[in-house]
Amino acid sequence: MAFTTMRAGLAVAATLMATTALAQDYPDRSITMVVPFAAGGPTDTVARLVAERMSADLGQQIIVENVGGAGGTLGAGQVAAAEADGYTVLLHHIGMATSATLYRNLAYSPADGFAPVGLVTEVPMTIVARKDLEPADFPALMAYVKENADTITMANAGIGAASHLCGMLFMQAVDAPIVTVPYKGTGPAMTELIGGQIDLMCDQTTNTTEQIKGGTIKGYAVTTPARLDIFPDMPTVAEGGFPGLEVSVWHGLYAPAGTPPEAVDRLATALQAALADPGIATKLAELGTAPSPAADATPAALKAKLDGEIARWKPIIEAAGVYAD
Amino acid sequence: MDLISNLGLGFATAASPENLFFCLIGVILGTLIGVLPGIGATATIAMLLPITFQLEPVSSLIMLAGIYYGAQYGGSTTAILINMPGESSSAVTAIDGYQMARKGKAGTALAVAALGSFFAGSVATLLVALFAPPLTVVALKFGAAEYFSLMMLGLVSAIALAHGSILKALAMVVLGLLLGLVGDDLYTGTPRFTFGMPEFAGGLNFVALAVGVFGIAEILRNLEGEQDRTVLGTRLAGLFPSRADLKRMVAPMFRGTAIGSVLGILPGGGAVLASFASYTVEKRISKTPEEFGHGAIEGVAGPESANNAGAQTSFIPLLTLGIPANPVMALMIGAMIIQGIVPGPNVASEQPELFWGIIASMWIGNLMLVVLNLPLIGLWVKLLKVPYHILFPIIMAMCSIGVYSVNSNVYDLFTVAFFGLLGYGLIKLRCEPAPLLLGFVLGPMLEENLRRAMILGRGDPTVFVTRPISLLLLLLMVAVLVVVTLPSIRKKRDEVFTEAE
Amino acid sequence: MTTTKTDRTDAAAGILFIAFGLLFGVQSLGMELGTAFRMGPGYFPLVLSGVLILLGLAILIIAFKKVSATEMGGFAWRGMLFILPAPVFFGLTVRGLGFVPAIFLTTLIAGLASLKMKPQWALVLAFGVTVFSTLVFSYGLGLPFRRFGPWLPL
Repeated sequence: MAFTTMRAGLAVAATLMATTALAQDYPDRSITMVVPFAAGGPTDTVARLVAERMSADLGQQIIVENVGGAGGTLGAGQVAAAEADGYTVLLHHIGMATSATLYRNLAYSPADGFAPVGLVTEVPMTIVARKDLEPADFPALMAYVKENADTITMANAGIGAASHLCGMLFMQAVDAPIVTVPYKGTGPAMTELIGGQIDLMCDQTTNTTEQIKGGTIKGYAVTTPARLDIFPDMPTVAEGGFPGLEVSVWHGLYAPAGTPPEAVDRLATALQAALADPGIATKLAELGTAPSPAADATPAALKAKLDGEIARWKPIIEAAGVYAD
Repeated sequence: MDLISNLGLGFATAASPENLFFCLIGVILGTLIGVLPGIGATATIAMLLPITFQLEPVSSLIMLAGIYYGAQYGGSTTAILINMPGESSSAVTAIDGYQMARKGKAGTALAVAALGSFFAGSVATLLVALFAPPLTVVALKFGAAEYFSLMMLGLVSAIALAHGSILKALAMVVLGLLLGLVGDDLYTGTPRFTFGMPEFAGGLNFVALAVGVFGIAEILRNLEGEQDRTVLGTRLAGLFPSRADLKRMVAPMFRGTAIGSVLGILPGGGAVLASFASYTVEKRISKTPEEFGHGAIEGVAGPESANNAGAQTSFIPLLTLGIPANPVMALMIGAMIIQGIVPGPNVASEQPELFWGIIASMWIGNLMLVVLNLPLIGLWVKLLKVPYHILFPIIMAMCSIGVYSVNSNVYDLFTVAFFGLLGYGLIKLRCEPAPLLLGFVLGPMLEENLRRAMILGRGDPTVFVTRPISLLLLLLMVAVLVVVTLPSIRKKRDEVFTEAE
Repeated sequence: MTTTKTDRTDAAAGILFIAFGLLFGVQSLGMELGTAFRMGPGYFPLVLSGVLILLGLAILIIAFKKVSATEMGGFAWRGMLFILPAPVFFGLTVRGLGFVPAIFLTTLIAGLASLKMKPQWALVLAFGVTVFSTLVFSYGLGLPFRRFGPWLPL
């Protein structure tokens, strides 16, 4: 008994010592940033942009590791189970919040398994259609879709993808069952939209901006509260009378739960420094997005965002009755 | 002439000393990493991608393209030397290339592969430069029904991949199709055949499967007698192809280039069919089809040309639409975005020096590869003189690293071991692995497009015959089947296909 | 008059395909089959499993009517014993032990598969491979491997 207590005491003391030592020197070796998606994808791009500048601020290399699979839950699970020492972090998008409902038997808790570091960026989405779809503007489109619900087809990039989430909101907004067609990723879906094989899609500006500008597809509305600089003529969904369609693909940086607060704060400072870099802002602007302001790149802001989004998506996903497991 | 001024601009961009240098570095690195067993083009690019981030956009993409060709070439080299394909395309090269190597003609096989690739690369580059925009229009006409019909045509062609029993080859294709379905169902998210392991939700890893059924099974087979391999070291016939060899490879090279160029344009994965289709064609029209599977030069020249032509023309959707046709292209898009270029339909008009520079560098890269690799053939072939008991532990180490590096997923390594065992068992039962691999590649696409076509057609199966391109492909499939089953030809086939029994 | 023999190799192949067909087929039945319009996850695999079982049966039946039968030959038991565990071992230890010890031991295990490989040479080879791959993959390409993992008291 006494022995166990003593051992426990020793363990606590050791942890405390480790924590203080860590807090002073952190970071004293390279940090692994896990991206739970394949290299070259939009989330990977955001991660690599940010990681490079954060390295400069932290004085330690950040190695981006792609652990793709199972809609991002494999990589996230790996970070949740990693040592909470601040040397393993996760850059994940909105899927962190939706996975809490989409996956019913996760080995970790998206809400409690992580120590949020900060919001990185929010990518707006656009509602787009094949270029010869009849309706002239967004309200006309919504009426048209409702009327022709049995012939309209809507693409998405697979269950849990941003385009799928936005599609669920869209169906809720038109209040009619439309036939959805999943694709393996945004690329094939976009190809068939350009080819006119399908009618509609809702996707991130990262993928749609250049196509809309090039006239290969038709842009109807943006899902942000305000119009975007890149598309001054495109109305917001709220302007069209559908504020419930507002959605963005937000990216957040996380450490495993139990990471010393000093390390989390240091990471947040580095993140804010990276996001303040004009070079990053320029590159993100070309993707139709902007770095999160310093006030949002904080643990508290990300925590609030995450909890809010988990609560928002739970009833939507349950109503759609689609699960990814 | 627009084309000439455009190509002029392209070559001026690509031939700047700096870009030439990065192209060369890319080609060399790609070859060196790609030639390591079990490390294919995708793994190579994923490993080398971060290196390119520090460069100027044009240089970065030129270097990436160089890595891509280099890795593909390196992949063919390991397929020929040690039966270890790193990509689906080189799986076909392994069939006859490895047999040539076993007969002491490794040098010939490598040279044929290099020359065929270069020729196909040059022709396809020209095609890209000339016809990229109109070809895109054709590609866009392909919907789910067309892809399904194309995949069916591809499956029928699998019969030709076998040199043993047709029934067994068909069974292997079907088994491959089923293995391809492992993972979360795209339409409902239901996990299928994953035995409760979320690590397999994304499906079985192709490299892991290919390394298992081809490479490891072959190592085990070689370890049976422990002396099999000495054959390779002792009888090294001439390094380079003889005049007769060259003559035999010309026609397959042309046909392979044509097949590859056409299939490569289709963004839905047409390129993976290219080498399989070319092999089928060569075997069908050959006067000596019994040589196929035992070291036929045509079985290397055709598929290698088709593969490289397809790799080249698969840049078309990327360049004209900004849409990736395969994982490698997706990586290149990522690289563009990191460089601040958002790929889209306007790249050609907004960034002409980038667009044409890449096209010009394709050809330059291919030229560098052939210049670089012809002398290297001697070196690669010498590797075969390394005693096998030293070579295979190295192969195992490189495979482990290569397979793991793609996704950092340890389950991929378990997959390697499982399929090594299965592949060895299948060899012992005289079932050949190539049809299984074709099925594995086509399985998910076949199902995805079948289901999509039915959804888009509202459950009406006539969509496959009412859409003209789809109908044409299905008629072609029937024609192939008829030719295969016609009595007179069948007699010849039986001779051909039972001779291994 | 020709006597027919049983080709045991083909018979085994037929049985193997039937077994795989059953394995996949039974699992497919547990999934939603759907309709032709909206095919469920079980539809396509069930069809394929059926085809595979039929092909397996055909192979099996023909195997009983062969004019000549072939033998399977020996098995590489030692090879299987050491080669197959090598990648598994790498997978199990690369995170815990770290890249350097994991690749060293993996090469060593694989090296033991051949009778021709003397233990001391296996060690030398494993050492060489470890140095090469650490230099190339870890230092050269900067792959995100930990060289020495948390299992080691370093």
